[in-house]
Amino acid sequence: MWTYLSRRLIQGIFTLLIITILVFILTRLSADPLAQYATNPNMTAADRQALRERLGLNQPLPVQYLKWLGLALQGELGKSFFSKQPVSLMISQRLPLTLILMVTAQIITVLLALGLGIISAVRQYSITDNIVTSLSFIGFSMPIFFIALGLMLIFAVQFKLWGLPYLPTGADIWSTKDPLQLIRHLVLPVTSLVLIQTAGYARYVRTSILEVLGLDYIRTARAKGLTERSTLYKHALRNAALPFITILGLDIPYLLSGALVTESIYAWPGMGRLFWEYAQRGDFPVVLGVLLIVSAAVVFFSIVTDMVYTLIDPRIRLS
Amino acid sequence: MNRKLFALLAVLILASVVLSACGSATPTEAPATAAPTEAPTAAGAAACKPAGTEPIAFPAGGKSVTGAWSQEPDNIVPYYTQMSYAIWITQLTLVGLGEWDDKGAFVPELAADVPTADNGGVSADGLTITWKLKPCLFWSDGEPLTSADVKFTWQSIMDPKNVPLSRVGYDKIASIDTPDDQTVVIKFSELYPGWQTLFTQGPNNSGAILPKHVLDGKTGLEKDPFTHQPTVFSGPFAITEWVAGDHMTLLPNPNFYKGRAKLDQVQIKFVPDPETALAGLKTGDIDWYPDFSESDIPTIKALEPNIHLLVKPGFDFEHYFFNLGTTAGVTLPDGTVVGKSDVDGFCPFKDIRVRKAITLGINRQAIADTLLNGATKVPATQWPNSTWTNASLTPDAYDPTTAAALLDEAGYKVGADGIRAGTCDGKPVKLSFNFETTNKQIRVDAALAAQSDLKKIGIEFKPIHTPAGTFFASYTDGGNMPLGKFDMAGYTTGFYPDPMTGVLDSYSCSAVPSKDSPSGTNNYHICDPKLDDLMKAVNASVDPAVRKTALDAVQKYIFDQYYVVMMYVRANVYGYVDRFVPASFSFTSNMNWNAEDWTVK
Repeated sequence: MWTYLSRRLIQGIFTLLIITILVFILTRLSADPLAQYATNPNMTAADRQALRERLGLNQPLPVQYLKWLGLALQGELGKSFFSKQPVSLMISQRLPLTLILMVTAQIITVLLALGLGIISAVRQYSITDNIVTSLSFIGFSMPIFFIALGLMLIFAVQFKLWGLPYLPTGADIWSTKDPLQLIRHLVLPVTSLVLIQTAGYARYVRTSILEVLGLDYIRTARAKGLTERSTLYKHALRNAALPFITILGLDIPYLLSGALVTESIYAWPGMGRLFWEYAQRGDFPVVLGVLLIVSAAVVFFSIVTDMVYTLIDPRIRLS
Repeated sequence: MNRKLFALLAVLILASVVLSACGSATPTEAPATAAPTEAPTAAGAAACKPAGTEPIAFPAGGKSVTGAWSQEPDNIVPYYTQMSYAIWITQLTLVGLGEWDDKGAFVPELAADVPTADNGGVSADGLTITWKLKPCLFWSDGEPLTSADVKFTWQSIMDPKNVPLSRVGYDKIASIDTPDDQTVVIKFSELYPGWQTLFTQGPNNSGAILPKHVLDGKTGLEKDPFTHQPTVFSGPFAITEWVAGDHMTLLPNPNFYKGRAKLDQVQIKFVPDPETALAGLKTGDIDWYPDFSESDIPTIKALEPNIHLLVKPGFDFEHYFFNLGTTAGVTLPDGTVVGKSDVDGFCPFKDIRVRKAITLGINRQAIADTLLNGATKVPATQWPNSTWTNASLTPDAYDPTTAAALLDEAGYKVGADGIRAGTCDGKPVKLSFNFETTNKQIRVDAALAAQSDLKKIGIEFKPIHTPAGTFFASYTDGGNMPLGKFDMAGYTTGFYPDPMTGVLDSYSCSAVPSKDSPSGTNNYHICDPKLDDLMKAVNASVDPAVRKTALDAVQKYIFDQYYVVMMYVRANVYGYVDRFVPASFSFTSNMNWNAEDWTVK
């Protein structure tokens, strides 16, 4: 167990290192951080050159990367080129609200997907299964911006114009400290995310359960006189859960990265917007900082997922 | 299994709640301010008392408006940012000595008058400018705002321990004397005709005066907490809350020089998606949005009378231009070679007839009328909508017949493939070239229209769209424009509030970028000694009349040479709800310049 953990951690560190190198190269090659100053008539060529030197952008790319890495190893993510604020502060300002949005959506998604997946599997090819499958595909194929804007136009704009109880657009000023306001503002973005995400998860659950339900030990359980409910929940679901948990474990880190489109449409001040706004400007300390945290979470949760396997399936041993 | 899975998720939720409690999404409340410790020392000091020492609290039932901006300011001190949104928030909170009003006139803010030769504010040699501040000026915390603050602002800009984006103009100041609290005597080391842009609020620059009593002795001001949590203000409003990524709340500054603002509160929400802003306007969540594009005009028009549309063409213009680079450079009469590029431009562009044919061959008015919904016009010069415009010039009309005749005359005949071919410098060449610009939708659409128009006269115009971060990359970062690796290109720029702001850096021989001069910003790669002389003449005097005559000559010369294809003036498109009365818009298309007069019906 400990050997396995040590090995995975060392692998994880190398993975992170490679990810940061790739992201650094891609970010630096995709946008010049000083490009936005190119047409500023108030800056002379000398000003731009001086700024380039101050930001260290005149140094060779490997030197720029190693300087960033040296700081990161000391727990410093550097400062944004543009806001001049510490990246860690900027992330800490956005992360809580992203987690609130994404975790809420994820919980509802998982519960719904489990329910719909089980119903579809148990009632395979029934009308219910066909309806769930059809709705799943509709949700799966819808672009998130379409769903998010559609929900906003109906439940925020039209409901208000019709004099019905309505939900906020997100363009209003509200306090995250007020739980009621928080809940009201969560409804539409969470619904948008749930509608998009549930479909995929529900299909995983359905397929996994269907595979398990055809196995010998389920037939044996039924032959021994166990109720269908007991067979399904105590025997089938436990074994069918492994692939689902794998997907879930790999998806959890992305809760940290936020949902760019949903956050933008509902003016939700989360990590997705932070990343996108600064990536567009080539502010690589912010981009690398966000990606480092998400990548670290991917590595961490993939290890946690492996741990969870052993809890769910005693046949699995880590060595 | 379920319990364990849920336990794992529960831990995540708990973590998010804990992080939420710990996170600094908490508003950064402005600290309580101390009472003034000393009275102004100017004449009449006894009568000078601040109206308050902290922002005026929002009363129950007070008048409040909420605006939505598509981006969040990255900084509150304008010397360390160039974001429009940062300049906007400065106009609400930190003012300068003067500004440009809705008629285009330069008017005083903290200053009592605009210095002129007549009132003795501008010396005979133009090297000394004397500003007189209004009497009884106070910061929002009740401390006196004096000439010492102006001098401190200059010192902080020039302090090598601070890193402003630019020191342009400020570096031409030899000294600032403050004989009394209201007098600022600025002595320049050389003639600086753009002195009005220093310490003043412009449309693309902000010379906000900084508070000496708060920042004195500090270094590294660009990362000082004041840049994100300012504590004192001189504008009509004070920032009392700034929730990162979400919104700002501003309350009236009791000591604003014009008196208390008419509104009791202004809030700014950061809304990146214009569709959300539109929804917010419809529901009344927000009162105005300044970031619509020209393509949104019909949508907003349809919402009258509840939501009003305001379109203000500005000083910025979209233009296409030719790569006129030459590896040989230009030899001056004294034998000096100047303006060398690393790469030669597309050879046919050296012929004025080809440049003129391309200008006449694009139906620019149709692009302005259709793609920009008639919100703007085709300008004749690079100084549109400005008092500096050479009004004698009018843009060429779309004339494909004359364009084709010009190309025939230049020796380019239509081939079997429909593309003209001829010779240039003795080498065969086809009129087929690339046009590089960003991937903004309006540019994609306009380039397609130009491509279609030019095809009709036998020119193959091939648009290439790249992200702005790549398109505007510098020489050292491999940008095609500074490297000269393009045929034609196009983007938006503008030269204001001083008409020569950035002009020399754009068109001079000395600014042509090359391996010997990688920081050059003459993207046109133009090197025309006559144009250099004409431009220098504009900066040879501080007399506005003399400068206007000289600038007229510059405009006429560029126009006659067809060095650039002026496409359209960029317009600012605002939507605002009926209850909001945003006062007048400034000449520079900015609504924030007189926020103290905003009110609600």
